[in-house]
Amino acid sequence: MRDTSYSVPVAQPNPEFDRKFAFVAYGLLIIAIIFFTYLHYYQPQVLHVPSNVDISTWENPTFEQTCIYDRMTEAEKEKIRSKGIPGTDISSLLLYGILSIMGVILCFLHARRHYGLWMASCFLIGSFIFTGLQESLIILSGRFVWGGGAVDPYVFGTYWFPTSGLWFIETPVWVCLCWFLIAYSCVWTSGKVFPKMRLWPRALIGGLIAMGIDLWMDPVLTSPEIMKWVWAKGPSILIFGIPYSNFLGWFFLIFVFAILWEWLPRLEKRWGRAKASINFLLIVLIADIAVLAALLISGTIINALFRAQGLIIPPGW
Amino acid sequence: MLSKIWKNRLEFYPFLCMYLFWFLGSFVSSLRVENRPGIVALGLITIPSLTLITIAAVKTYKELLLTGDTNE
Repeated sequence: MRDTSYSVPVAQPNPEFDRKFAFVAYGLLIIAIIFFTYLHYYQPQVLHVPSNVDISTWENPTFEQTCIYDRMTEAEKEKIRSKGIPGTDISSLLLYGILSIMGVILCFLHARRHYGLWMASCFLIGSFIFTGLQESLIILSGRFVWGGGAVDPYVFGTYWFPTSGLWFIETPVWVCLCWFLIAYSCVWTSGKVFPKMRLWPRALIGGLIAMGIDLWMDPVLTSPEIMKWVWAKGPSILIFGIPYSNFLGWFFLIFVFAILWEWLPRLEKRWGRAKASINFLLIVLIADIAVLAALLISGTIINALFRAQGLIIPPGW
Repeated sequence: MLSKIWKNRLEFYPFLCMYLFWFLGSFVSSLRVENRPGIVALGLITIPSLTLITIAAVKTYKELLLTGDTNE
């Protein structure tokens, strides 16, 4: 049925359940963050966390096998080798953390007013897990599988985030929070500008808005001066020095998540709120694997088509 | 106009967040990037996204003029 205005069917408030759900869900998320942060700093050998200080210890990929290596001048390479990754000081880590938390609070207040505590919490927790797990799957599969050469390493090069205060698996918490902020704002913007559009094209435009911002943000934040994340060489197509799969991933994730989230009231109608909450998170996990599979398949096809020609857009930055 | 926006500031939070994210994450950070003049010019690529966000913010303001304050 065609929507006549931009209004996601809002679930009826159920304060008692909503508070319990928020308490349990945020509690579990905080426990997971504490656990993975401990693992990252105190047991780095478990997940093979690359050193931020001694670049020569990097393996799969080595420093020379990263995209950033080709973007650097000789002086910059020497600086990284001698001083390590920039932005590891506490003030820099705090800045990213505080700014992302402030943005999340503002968007969450907006979401709570328009959709209620349950749907707002599902968006925040769902998007946090959706992106944190997706990024970590790519990071860890790249680190342990593709990088080792067990599967074609050129399907897509891996990447990792060298710096953060808190971690969710191998994804910085501030990245997951920013992802919520961007996804919510873009989905809301899309609905506001095109209120009579169906859900699918609206989600598609939300994904494109986010991708548009990311097309500039990523080349800036992966520059040698900032290095918020590091890409391994691999994919044959680079856009502004970043593998194309990154932008495709941004678009896909927001597009898929926006659709899943707007299905929440339907899930509630079918299963009740408690079961709908669990099933929503399960669907999010399945969608995560589906998006990863889609990226792998598209990566295989695109690399097979373009590796021979060596298409690079544009050549290095 | 400003008092109207301030009174209903919550309605503008998603747009404010996106502007801030774009401004701090991309624009201010790009000032730290040396030897790459192209990276600032690359910012032009965000114009379609920023235009849509601006349209949405203006639409929100116009709706507030029609429907009255939401915080009352």
